Amino acid sequence: MQMVKKSLLVLMVTWLGIIILMPKQEIYYKLEEALDGYEIRLNEEKKSEGLFSLNLKGVTVYVKGINIATIDEVNLFTLLFYSSVELRSLLVDESLKTMIPQETTSAVLRHSVLSPLDVSVMANGSFGSLSGNIDLNERKVHLDFNESKKLQMLKPQLKKSEKGWVYETSF
Amino acid sequence: MKHLFKPEIVKELWTLLILLLGIKVLWFLLQVVWLPTSGLDHLEERGGKALYYRAKLSPNEAPAPTITKKAVPIAGSIKDITLLAIYSASDVTVVTVEYKRKTKVLAKGDEINGFVLEGAGNNYATFSKNAKIYKVTLRTISKGNTSIQSSTPSSSAPLSRKRKVEGEVIDAGDHKIVDKSLLEHYATNIDDIYKNIGIKEIKKGKELEGFSISFIRKGSPFAKLGLKRGDVIESINGQKIDSHKAAFDMYKNIQNIENLTLGIKRGKEEMELEYEVN
Repeated sequence: MQMVKKSLLVLMVTWLGIIILMPKQEIYYKLEEALDGYEIRLNEEKKSEGLFSLNLKGVTVYVKGINIATIDEVNLFTLLFYSSVELRSLLVDESLKTMIPQETTSAVLRHSVLSPLDVSVMANGSFGSLSGNIDLNERKVHLDFNESKKLQMLKPQLKKSEKGWVYETSF
Repeated sequence: MKHLFKPEIVKELWTLLILLLGIKVLWFLLQVVWLPTSGLDHLEERGGKALYYRAKLSPNEAPAPTITKKAVPIAGSIKDITLLAIYSASDVTVVTVEYKRKTKVLAKGDEINGFVLEGAGNNYATFSKNAKIYKVTLRTISKGNTSIQSSTPSSSAPLSRKRKVEGEVIDAGDHKIVDKSLLEHYATNIDDIYKNIGIKEIKKGKELEGFSISFIRKGSPFAKLGLKRGDVIESINGQKIDSHKAAFDMYKNIQNIENLTLGIKRGKEEMELEYEVN
């Protein structure tokens, strides 16, 4: 019994050590490098590390050098077996409002080891609210617009289902 | 001598501290070998954009006349002409107008009140007088079901259809006139651009060099501008179009321009296409 306790203690300390001592900013820089391959760049005004998270404030998103959107706050959180990315107040550039909804109040992407090939998505904003998932195995995105408002600009890309409007794409 | 702490607990604490130190060393090694030390930030262009002026300098032409303000006589105004009907085919343009309560049918080149009929679009006709182009829109009667509409085949589309492209590119002989409403339409409906014109990136390695036209829809306003498949768009209004940002910035300000000059490369030939925005 003593041995089991000791092993659990070592596992717990190792797990906490890995997360707490993780160089979160440097891993974020690596993510920025990966995004740069797709010509996406993120400029942030402030970065702050927590024990389990990295918080970014005043993020500006550039795609191919074009200012596409600003995000008030991005929170990257991980416990290794469970991770999430939370976006607060995403505002798309005025010139793109005819193509995509302009304001997303909040968006959350969650990943858990219980379903390792699936990322769940939830968001709400000027378009209403949506929920869906990203299938990493089949490389497919499925989003259900549960409470749709101001979706005119997106409708050519959506399908009508029994539940409402559905967006599907693959990557 | 009695120990202050149990030696087993101290040993366990040491083990855990060494374990944490090991994890830190591993992260440090990973940081040195694999992880970058700084992020990639997009650098905004801080330099001001050069002002664009278009000037026509020709030694053979008479100096620009001094502008003297004359009282514009009420008689002879374009407002006296009311456009009642249009027939516009590829080879013939005929319009019916009302002038001084009399109805008159005009063919291209005919004159009324000093205004010469130049052409017609779906819902308007263009007249010229003293080298100036005037646009007269078709009169519509909204009462009841009666409404006068253009007789061109394209006018058969329902008037309630959303996002209908309004405005035309008018060929006024020596130059072309781009209707401002056309620019306004494309400025608010970006996806309509891609239905009419295909734009391809020109890259040298990973570096973007410019944009070329991969396809152009026949009869579209872009074709009427005189653009052709394979043309390389080098500049718009003197602004080099060598990045996505430059192209997007130009697109964002397209509603505010008064003149349009496209610098293009067709084969080995470089040319400038100039338009008046009206």
